[in-house]
Amino acid sequence: MDGNAGYGRALSRAFGGALLFSFPLLMTMEMWSLGMAVERWRLLVFLLLTLPMLIGLSYYAGFEPTFRLKDEVLDALAAFGVGFLLSAVLLSIFGVLRADEIGTQSAIGKVSLCAVPAAVGALLAGKQLGERGPGEREKAEAGALGELFLMAVGAAFLAFNVAPTEEMILIAYQMGPLATLLLMAASIGLLHLFVYQLGFPGETRRREAGGFSRTFVAFTAPGYGVALLMSLYLLWTFGRTDGVAVHEIATMTIVLGFPAAIGAATARLVV
Amino acid sequence: MARARASRGTSNAAPRKPAPKRAPVNDIPPLEWVAAGVGLVLASTAIGLTAWDAMFGVKGPPAIEVRLKRVTPTAHGYVAEIEAINHGGAPAAQVQIEGQTSKEAASVTIDYIPEQSTASGGLIFEDDPRLAALKLRATGFADAS
Repeated sequence: MDGNAGYGRALSRAFGGALLFSFPLLMTMEMWSLGMAVERWRLLVFLLLTLPMLIGLSYYAGFEPTFRLKDEVLDALAAFGVGFLLSAVLLSIFGVLRADEIGTQSAIGKVSLCAVPAAVGALLAGKQLGERGPGEREKAEAGALGELFLMAVGAAFLAFNVAPTEEMILIAYQMGPLATLLLMAASIGLLHLFVYQLGFPGETRRREAGGFSRTFVAFTAPGYGVALLMSLYLLWTFGRTDGVAVHEIATMTIVLGFPAAIGAATARLVV
Repeated sequence: MARARASRGTSNAAPRKPAPKRAPVNDIPPLEWVAAGVGLVLASTAIGLTAWDAMFGVKGPPAIEVRLKRVTPTAHGYVAEIEAINHGGAPAAQVQIEGQTSKEAASVTIDYIPEQSTASGGLIFEDDPRLAALKLRATGFADAS
């Protein structure tokens, strides 16, 4: 089999992965209206940040320990393309994109917003569900910064699945200060447990950091910090923070920080 | 991507793993270039258009024009199909549209009209609105999102 056929199969897998990762969002109403309503500068920043994120992810999810920029960039671009194509086709089938809308800013907004999670799925599936056995496969090792990057991607990805929905705001409105603190404690506790106690596969390297307090300060706290930052960034991107009082923004960030923390904790499972 | 990667090990001066036996291809397969090219075109189109809109797009509040497309007599009243065009620089949500004739009034709410876009709907009258000085206009909207 030549390289083209092999790559074609990897590409098909990428479409599968994109579908798996993005269909919940493609079938969420808020994603469509946000695609139209998101402020253009924020959408632009979001799309521009996606490219380096995909390149980094391509490196960490890849098998080769060497960083070859050309490969990673090619893979990231192909994944982005898969994301765009898949979102455009599915949104058209769902009747979200109408024929008279093509080429307008609202159509581009809808497709590109959905293309981002699809591209992450495409990248992971194209890389991971490869034909080589799991024994042969060795993931690139990540340093402290790399771990933080992966946590950020995991946090962003899981948070992105729920961030567009009205429910995030509603939950924030319903929760009192005590419940907020409780949720925060639960997020941090789960993050710590998932990463350092339960020992999911792929988590081995992070568990030998010394005593509890050292691990907590050196790893769990930054992890939760990254999760909160990602939550705040997503809320801002979707315009959820505009004109909202600071304490309410804090509550929303903590609410969204819950899925984000779980995403950060389990990032290494997926990537 | 995985296979392509595995087979490309041979092009390196010091490959870390033995290359798979069946695919000794030395360079990036053309399909990989094509896929990346398509991705580049799509991504830069989306980014470029978004940037253009952010920089040079129409600014200002929603400006909604309501047009009558046609009137069809049905067994359940005269259906006036309308389209609402948002000429402004911001999207409008829950747009209230009112049709007023000399005899009666009808209204409809359109969920969403993005900027520079069109949405359509219908108003239903008991009598032919074309004979009763139909006036159409948008009476209000909520900010989107």
